Amino acid sequence: MTNYLAILGAALSLFAAACHASQDTAKPAAAKPAAAAPASAATPAAAATPATSAGTPPRYAQNAAKSSLKFTFEQAGAAASGNFKKFTTVLIYDEKNLAASSLDVRVEIASVDTQEPERDSMLKDADLFNAAKYPAATFAASSLAKRADGGLEAVGKLKIRDITHDLRLPLTLKPTADGLELSGKTAIKRLDYGVGQGEMKATDSVGDEVKIEYAVSLVRSSS
Amino acid sequence: MAFRNTTRSWGSLSKAFHWLIVLLIINQWWIASRADELKGLAKLEALAWHKSFGMTILMLAVLRLLWRLLNPTPDLTAETRRWERVLARISHVLLYALIFAMPLTGWMMSSAKNYPVSWFKLFQFPDLVAPAEQTFHQMHDLHHLLFGVLVSVALLHVAGALKHHFIDKNDVLKRMLPFGKVE
Repeated sequence: MTNYLAILGAALSLFAAACHASQDTAKPAAAKPAAAAPASAATPAAAATPATSAGTPPRYAQNAAKSSLKFTFEQAGAAASGNFKKFTTVLIYDEKNLAASSLDVRVEIASVDTQEPERDSMLKDADLFNAAKYPAATFAASSLAKRADGGLEAVGKLKIRDITHDLRLPLTLKPTADGLELSGKTAIKRLDYGVGQGEMKATDSVGDEVKIEYAVSLVRSSS
Repeated sequence: MAFRNTTRSWGSLSKAFHWLIVLLIINQWWIASRADELKGLAKLEALAWHKSFGMTILMLAVLRLLWRLLNPTPDLTAETRRWERVLARISHVLLYALIFAMPLTGWMMSSAKNYPVSWFKLFQFPDLVAPAEQTFHQMHDLHHLLFGVLVSVALLHVAGALKHHFIDKNDVLKRMLPFGKVE
């Protein structure tokens, strides 16, 4: 009989552990280094040198092949990640005139890739991104600013579905041979943007917070 | 009842491992067959339970194997015939192998589908393989195939235990029962 109780006890404690499982313990995704940018310290290319504030600030456009936009979310207690394969970035950047700098990003929702087709189509469905109705998410910043920690941030508005919120996007700019490498990470709450209708409003299976990591290779363009 | 095994009977910890894993496996089958009918978040949640219990089985399997190696194994009775010993040995080895192989193939299924495994939402296990559709399908098929093998070997195992009890009238079944007493 004592043995039976021992087994029962073990089983009960197992279930008790299960019932007390908290939801917010998913490990933060390890920050991945940005897509390798050519070492530029030794060779500060002319192209990467910002113009003076007197002229038109230089314009940079995205090199799609070397850019990534990754997101990490909590799903049934585990952090899972995916990325958007198609997005475009335009940066107007004058180191000496951040107020005249700007950043525009457009993300094609249909390009979402979580390496699992079923989940990708769920993400595009009406309850989440509703890609048919809202094919793109955009971030538009009409100025850049210095952060308290010395880094930069783009002061703008993020629009996902039909909801727009102010967002200060932290970013780091590093000169490369032909332009700049823009990288950084932030986190947003998906429900702030309506990404979660119907049963997807619940956050116990799919977390509200979504971490975003970006590493964008920008090439200085003439126009 | 002793905590450790003797050469005559299983100790309480060995029995606990045995029966807890039996219950968990039945539970696993039940959750998996339910999950097949579900969609969306309900399916995600059901499979999260299946994975958590599966990882529990894997951890118990590790402890169980260690415990088995650290303890005497009760002998079969002297009158057990050679073919019975061989069959029992093969099925025991297979059952031990399967309580590792089932969770491991399941874990690889999850990794291959980029659905990382958590343990009751308390912590997350690392991914075993890179996400890939083909790997997922291979592991999925293997997981199902191994389940078929598990059911077959388990039935043989039960048949053997019942034969010992009802035909040979020895203590082989009784000494593994949670409330079994061995003279």
